[in-house]
Amino acid sequence: MRRLTRRQRVAAIVLATLALGFLTLDLGGGGLRSAHSGVRGALGSLYRGTDAVLGPARHFIQGLPSAGTSHSRIAALRHENALLRGRVAAAEADRTAHAQLARLQLAATSGRYRIVPARVIALGPGGGFDWTLTLDAGTSSGIRVDQTVTDGAGLVGRVLHADASSCVVLLAADPGAGVGVRDLRTGQVGVATGRGTAGFTFVPLDPNAVLRVGDPVATGPAGSTSFVAGLAVGTVSSVRTSADGTTSATVRAAVAPSTLDLVGVILLGGQTLPPRPALNPSAQAQR
Amino acid sequence: MNRVRFIAALAVMITGLLLQATMVAPLAIAVPLSLPAVLVAAVALVDGPSAGMAFGFSLGLIADLGSSHPAGVLALSWLGLGLLCGLAGDRRTLLGQIVVTALSCTLASLFAGLLLAVVHAGGATAWLAIRGGVPAGVGDALLALVVLPLARALLRTPTLRARQPLVAELELGTSRG
Repeated sequence: MRRLTRRQRVAAIVLATLALGFLTLDLGGGGLRSAHSGVRGALGSLYRGTDAVLGPARHFIQGLPSAGTSHSRIAALRHENALLRGRVAAAEADRTAHAQLARLQLAATSGRYRIVPARVIALGPGGGFDWTLTLDAGTSSGIRVDQTVTDGAGLVGRVLHADASSCVVLLAADPGAGVGVRDLRTGQVGVATGRGTAGFTFVPLDPNAVLRVGDPVATGPAGSTSFVAGLAVGTVSSVRTSADGTTSATVRAAVAPSTLDLVGVILLGGQTLPPRPALNPSAQAQR
Repeated sequence: MNRVRFIAALAVMITGLLLQATMVAPLAIAVPLSLPAVLVAAVALVDGPSAGMAFGFSLGLIADLGSSHPAGVLALSWLGLGLLCGLAGDRRTLLGQIVVTALSCTLASLFAGLLLAVVHAGGATAWLAIRGGVPAGVGDALLALVVLPLARALLRTPTLRARQPLVAELELGTSRG
């Protein structure tokens, strides 16, 4: 076991004080806003470059679990040489991107919004505490802070920061995030709080609301949430009633962050159209 | 710190953050694995607490500024990580260093989660950090299996080796004549 010298002890105290100083400064009123903005912009550009190099490898690794189960042709090719496997994975990624683009187009048409498609180029950064995505589209594509991000049917999150060529999206499932939502079966409105990979906790405003497992939950009502209304948030997977009679529910998220690749940013303000109507559950099921 | 070590440290920090965001985090989204934290632990284990603290604080601050949470959370956590690993790292085997890395990174992750819960994101972040503690520790150990030998090899090259302070030890005791 090493021992700290006096100089090292002083250095540790000074650095800890500095860190606490930054924390206080940042909490106290955004004194470091421009520093945040500069570093995010620089990292965003670097993510684009890195993703261009490492993205295919990542897509290949992410595609491996499904490659053997859902496509017998790919399963057969897996036994061939590494080059051929890489080509098959690339083709699969293209097909998925095509399907996602079609879904985004459908959402844009039915919701009468302009949607800018963007690819996920990074998650985080940080120690796993930031539920954020970095997308490869920015203000030059019309993206602005607080715009809603969707995967075509479900809510992904909202734009937290945007520079010319990239933007950072705070996922709706972020543990600190809350989304104004509506239970589409009963019409009850409430707040869904993010719980990371566990989805959301939905607390209706009416404590006596009757929620059921399987109820679809969507953003809304229009005008009362910072998100575009009518986007699927998830499905109620369990309902709890506390001792004081208050009801809350666990909502399984409609969008799995780990599968996100191509998403769409809804350009509110791009067109002066009425808000998108709430999704009809049966229509959603048909889709 | 000489210029070569400074440039190397900067390059490792940026590479670590880029790999974390574009490879490690997307591939292990359910478990809060942290390549930058493992890098801090590796540097501290090989080079001692001074290098560990400086590296951890700087890397943490850059990660903080690139994130949505307030700056200082990861800087403070990884400063502590560098200090802890720097103190614990003396004359340990590779396996011992991997265990120290996994435990220290889990502790740092818990600390950051709790701090974040207090200042920023509410109780859910702390719960996520606690729930993900064990799998994150195992994952960090696996990352350390790759990172530590590389760090040991790199930081012991003549160009990147840290200057060791000259220590004079005086042993005072009764003379036996």
